[in-house]
Amino acid sequence: MKSTIDKILLVVLLIAFLVCMYLIFIWVPQIKASNASEQIAQKIFYFHVPSAWLGFLAFFIVFITSVGYLWKRDRRYELIGVASAEIGVLFITLVLLTGPIWAKPVWGIWWTWDARLTSSLILWLIYVAYLMLRRYLPDGSKRANLSAVVGILGFVDVPIVYYSIRWWETQHPKAVMASGEGSLAQPMFIAFMFSLATFTVLYVYLLRKRYQLLVIEDSINKQFKEMEIL
Amino acid sequence: MRAALAILRKDLRMEFRSKESILAMWIFSLLIFVIFNFTFEVSRLVMLEIAPGLLWVAFIFSGMFGLNHSFAVEKENGNLRSMALMPVDGGQIFLGKFLSVTLIMLMFEVLIFPIFVIFYDLQLSLQFFLLIPVVLAGTIGFTSLGTILSAVAVHTRNQQILLSLLLWPLVSPIVIWSVNLTSMVLIGEIVPSFYSLLTRIVAFDVIFFTLAYMLFDFILED
Amino acid sequence: MSIPALHLNKVSKDFGRIIALRNIDLDVEDGQFVSVLGRNGAGKTTLLNIICGVSKPSSGVVELFGSDPSDTINKSKLAVISHEMFLYSNLTAMENLEYYAKVYSIPNPAAKIESVLARVELTHRRFDLVGTFSRGMTQRLTIARALLHEPSLLLLDEPFTGLDQHAIGMLTSLLKEQKQMGRTILLTTHDLHIAKELSDRFVIIEKHKILHDGPMVDVTPDEIREKYFTA
Repeated sequence: MKSTIDKILLVVLLIAFLVCMYLIFIWVPQIKASNASEQIAQKIFYFHVPSAWLGFLAFFIVFITSVGYLWKRDRRYELIGVASAEIGVLFITLVLLTGPIWAKPVWGIWWTWDARLTSSLILWLIYVAYLMLRRYLPDGSKRANLSAVVGILGFVDVPIVYYSIRWWETQHPKAVMASGEGSLAQPMFIAFMFSLATFTVLYVYLLRKRYQLLVIEDSINKQFKEMEIL
Repeated sequence: MRAALAILRKDLRMEFRSKESILAMWIFSLLIFVIFNFTFEVSRLVMLEIAPGLLWVAFIFSGMFGLNHSFAVEKENGNLRSMALMPVDGGQIFLGKFLSVTLIMLMFEVLIFPIFVIFYDLQLSLQFFLLIPVVLAGTIGFTSLGTILSAVAVHTRNQQILLSLLLWPLVSPIVIWSVNLTSMVLIGEIVPSFYSLLTRIVAFDVIFFTLAYMLFDFILED
Repeated sequence: MSIPALHLNKVSKDFGRIIALRNIDLDVEDGQFVSVLGRNGAGKTTLLNIICGVSKPSSGVVELFGSDPSDTINKSKLAVISHEMFLYSNLTAMENLEYYAKVYSIPNPAAKIESVLARVELTHRRFDLVGTFSRGMTQRLTIARALLHEPSLLLLDEPFTGLDQHAIGMLTSLLKEQKQMGRTILLTTHDLHIAKELSDRFVIIEKHKILHDGPMVDVTPDEIREKYFTA
């Protein structure tokens, strides 16, 4: 049952990825830009923004599972949360990497302290701290409790951080990464939504895989313990 | 309420006896001011622009020290466990620690402020009284989150590093708003947005104080 | 049938890769003195943590005086004595006790503090900082602290480790006293002689399960050691 879903997901993912690449690089009409590198750099938008959204989704899942864990004390909630946090960090790292790659050809600078990039950086720091906390604690209900608390506090803060940095941005006008969320031409909008959907499937697939791995680790360790006892 | 006050009283008693925290916090901030003087060669005008940021950097780095100390003392003799055993709501224990950390930090801030004024040759004016709500609100937001996160971090062997890692990103809104408000006061241009910004800090304080109060029980549990 | 002081039914504590307790059934009546014996790592400390409400079981029922151990009422009837001091080195003995007296809402704190200090023979050091105390003295003060709120249930986790003869004698007589006052006592220890001297029942935890649960009356320490602890 489990592996059937995974197989289907993988197939869907691969197909979606191929379609996505086609849409982004071939189907979408070229934008008006001053030079070729800027034209190509603009494509990053289709990876940059969905990564940010998925990163945010991943941390929302961390929040939900943290609350769920504190309520039910179920190990599964803890494991889903950890898996989601790891994947979230991955996606946000992608945001932080694609940001400069986009900014350099377009603005001539590697980093712009704009709201999305900066709050992504802070988001990244929060969840890296979450993972480091877990690394420095021995496995057990204490670690689960503490990380759940951090998961909740961290997520509640995320919108506040974004909001405060947006405000700060108005005080210090900076080069802003074109959000593209404003008026997107029809074909670009389609390509963007498709990219978003692909990334979402990727997230679900990675989450399932990572979670399954954690569950297997648990059961192996348990079996060793059982053998000791017998 | 009684337990929270007992904890406050105990912490203040220990602090007044040793003065460990306040002294260390004060000297640390002094060092920050001195070092910044040498690392940034800027004109007086620019110095005035960055002074507010400098003040809050000093507050927060020193504040971390106070937070670490507060819970290191508890960890020392197994007192985290004794708190878990007390017939008291976890939130009350949080309240007690929050109050002691906040009061000690406020005392330190009052003591370091004159040094700040002297070092940066600030012209004191009546408007400086507006700094009081700013520092109060900013500090409370910092210590609300800081108290619960310090209780989390103290369970690891790298308490200080983990507290910094956890706390800094989470209090960044406070830093942004407080620095801006402080800047307004020091420069002397209080625009109408002063009050809306202050309200935001207070809202932040309320949100995180409440969350920390509700979640503290889980920190004490094993 | 009165409610037992302690009731554990099919209590397990496992979490991820940790297995600490499996299927523990334990009932302790009011006024009983039970020794909990077992090798290191068998699960004794976890058992105590679950009983005092600090830890939650993964499955099973734990009841203290008929309700959840982490209820405020239960916590005020409970005292734990372990190798952890539960004291502040930078405060005097008096100040430490005053702090706990406030937290536990003890009526007539001054008189009570005086009486527990006298009981552990620390009256002459009450204004001294705990940091200056010897290990035996801090243990005595820890015990004094535990007795402040007159707990109905005493949980002791290897309290005799590292104590000098004088302190051991004092603690032993104190425990006998508490038993006579009808307090329920659970003691984990490696010292089979003390277990024999003080308790009327002993439980052996081995590999996270209860291996044996029976009266202390007809057994000698040597018999216990041979039967259960010789591999």
